Amino acid sequence: MRFRIEVVHPERCIGCYSCVYACSRHLFNTVDPSRTAVFLRIEGSITNPFIPVTCRFCKTPECAEACPKNALQPLPEGGIMLITSRCQGCETFDCITACAIRALALDKKTKLPVICDKCGDCAKYCPHNVFKYEEMK
Amino acid sequence: MNNILYVDLTERSSKVIERPDLFSKYLGGPGIASKLLIEETKPGTDPFSPKSSIIFAAGYLVGIFPCMVKAVAMFKSPLTKNLGESYSGGHLASALRFAGYGALVVHGASENPVMIKIVDDDVKVERADSLWGLSPLNVEKTLRGHYEGIQSVMSCGRAGEGLINYGNVIVDRFHHFGRLGLGAIFGSKKLKAISINGTGEIPLEDPLAVKEMYEKLYDEVINSENMLKYHYLGTSANVLELNERGTLPSRNFKESRFRGAERISGEAMAESSLERKISCPGCPVACIHLAELKTGFAPEHEKGRKEIFPEKVLVPYNYEPMYALGSNLLVHEPSHLLRLIYRCEYLGLDAMMVGTVLAWVTEAFEEGLINLDDTSGIEPRWSDVGAYLQIINNIVDLKNPFYTKLAQGLDVASEKYGGEEFAMIMGRNGLAGYTTGYGSIVGQLVGARHSHLSNSGYSIDQRALDQPIGPDQIAKFLINQEDWLYVLYSLGTCYFARKIYTKEVVCAVLKIMGIDQTPEGLMQLGKEIFHNLYRFKIQEGFELTEEKIPSRVYSMQTPQKKLDAEKMESIIKYYIHKRESEGLQLRPEEKALKELLSFEG
Repeated sequence: MRFRIEVVHPERCIGCYSCVYACSRHLFNTVDPSRTAVFLRIEGSITNPFIPVTCRFCKTPECAEACPKNALQPLPEGGIMLITSRCQGCETFDCITACAIRALALDKKTKLPVICDKCGDCAKYCPHNVFKYEEMK
Repeated sequence: MNNILYVDLTERSSKVIERPDLFSKYLGGPGIASKLLIEETKPGTDPFSPKSSIIFAAGYLVGIFPCMVKAVAMFKSPLTKNLGESYSGGHLASALRFAGYGALVVHGASENPVMIKIVDDDVKVERADSLWGLSPLNVEKTLRGHYEGIQSVMSCGRAGEGLINYGNVIVDRFHHFGRLGLGAIFGSKKLKAISINGTGEIPLEDPLAVKEMYEKLYDEVINSENMLKYHYLGTSANVLELNERGTLPSRNFKESRFRGAERISGEAMAESSLERKISCPGCPVACIHLAELKTGFAPEHEKGRKEIFPEKVLVPYNYEPMYALGSNLLVHEPSHLLRLIYRCEYLGLDAMMVGTVLAWVTEAFEEGLINLDDTSGIEPRWSDVGAYLQIINNIVDLKNPFYTKLAQGLDVASEKYGGEEFAMIMGRNGLAGYTTGYGSIVGQLVGARHSHLSNSGYSIDQRALDQPIGPDQIAKFLINQEDWLYVLYSLGTCYFARKIYTKEVVCAVLKIMGIDQTPEGLMQLGKEIFHNLYRFKIQEGFELTEEKIPSRVYSMQTPQKKLDAEKMESIIKYYIHKRESEGLQLRPEEKALKELLSFEG
């Protein structure tokens, strides 16, 4: 089954980071707010609304196009898959900067981009249903 | 986690020392901070001297389990000249942990304004001349950056810079180290702000067990009735609840009901002004309620034109400032209440203490203890917000000798002008908003930091309505509560989640972290932390038997009718007896001995 996550109600976000912590627990068995595929951004001041961000699962992903080594494989349903062997030793990290909404982070430990695996934990642990997590038709 | 970051403002240097010995025993928060405070502070240190230190410590479980969010600040308080202990939520505890530190110790003092900037292991003391004089609300905007991970910004305001003894430190705009004057300590060190950005990890030894426990606790937090209150209206729900029970202080504690309560209730605020709710990182509750305060543009902004669009600012509100600046001052207009809270926020003042001071000023003026010469022509009257705003400004400006005394605290002001009987302070700290009975009063008197959150004294008063509770039981309750709360605070647990984290749950959670503890062992730890703090207090001259209870307390209307001085005394005696039987000598030895001899004789 293929799933999709979408930020549908950013205005409901209370800035609790439950999604971010859940993501790093799921992907890396740790708690690390910078090793995550879901982001909670504060722009300018904490008085401004929080900005939750996830991968948009683009049909023609900018990040994949930007990679000089074709390490990011676009998926037919949208989004990307990482071919780790091609990604080794990258020094330019073009994929990270290519994404307009900065939905791709660089894992500072492995030097690989952190790819959302659509587990849905961000949605599961969101107390305000900011995210929609659903099966793709 | 075992790392302590030391920053020296005099030398503009920093170092990290690993202290696994400390953390393995005292976990975090006040457990660690109390030990460091004692290590760092020589007896009799002047709070404003470069030799006084500030210790921040994050809770042990911050980031790992839900509602583990708190950091403590310990220092020598300029207000009480004794233990300074204050807790803050916000991003601070998480930022410290993710930056790789369990605690931060700030030493020394600078000649020019400085700020501390921490990004993981990159620690800098930088000039902050351009930030000096700015409101903490603007400092937050200035220092908030595009960082990875979690960033926390805290700063003092003009109150702290001017060494007002109840100047506070505002953390991430809506959270506070509110009580006991940490802002003035910042000011005395010329320390304007601290920004901490943590991008590291909190490693988990047994991630699967953590995930399982997290899910269980998260579900409980989300679905529990206990936590729903904090999410819906927050503690502002107390305004109506306490008013109905006749336990809402009004007119400087002369009355226990307020006719305007409904208008400034949590319910009314939610209806008229609630704009957003926010959380601390790691807590899904969102208890921080933000109201939108709309005001007209000041005429000087308008160049003679008329503007129909209002100025808007976000103001955090919860029960304590609503009592202190609302019911207790007979302020019944929501926008007036919000203006008073906002003024305190803007200047960096402890809103509770400001309320206590304003109530005393109003009554002292009524009683003729102070006159228009003292107040520089301002007539303080109940519910007159215009006058109150001017008085707040004058305190921060140290406008004349009267305001300078007010800035030092009500013990100082009432000693000079009189009115000690209605200066609603204990241990020199302003009282919280409960005229519930003995538990609340004795709780704040004996609590290490003289706070209602030291030992939840007000909650046993509620129980006393259903069944009579003896003085010994009240004393025992206060002791057990305070000891246990030190365990929870050391873990970083928010006070609001205390019913989720029972002793059994805490033992189970610690087991996952590789720490074997029993409920008894934890209580012993909490007791030890309390003893450490009290020994510090005694070292700095605190004597419980000498502490005064303002006589207004005995004319307060409470659900248990008027409080009886003998019963109060008896609770305190039981308390001292029980604490001393634990090995904590609360009275100077000769006094204890004399009492014992007279008793036996």
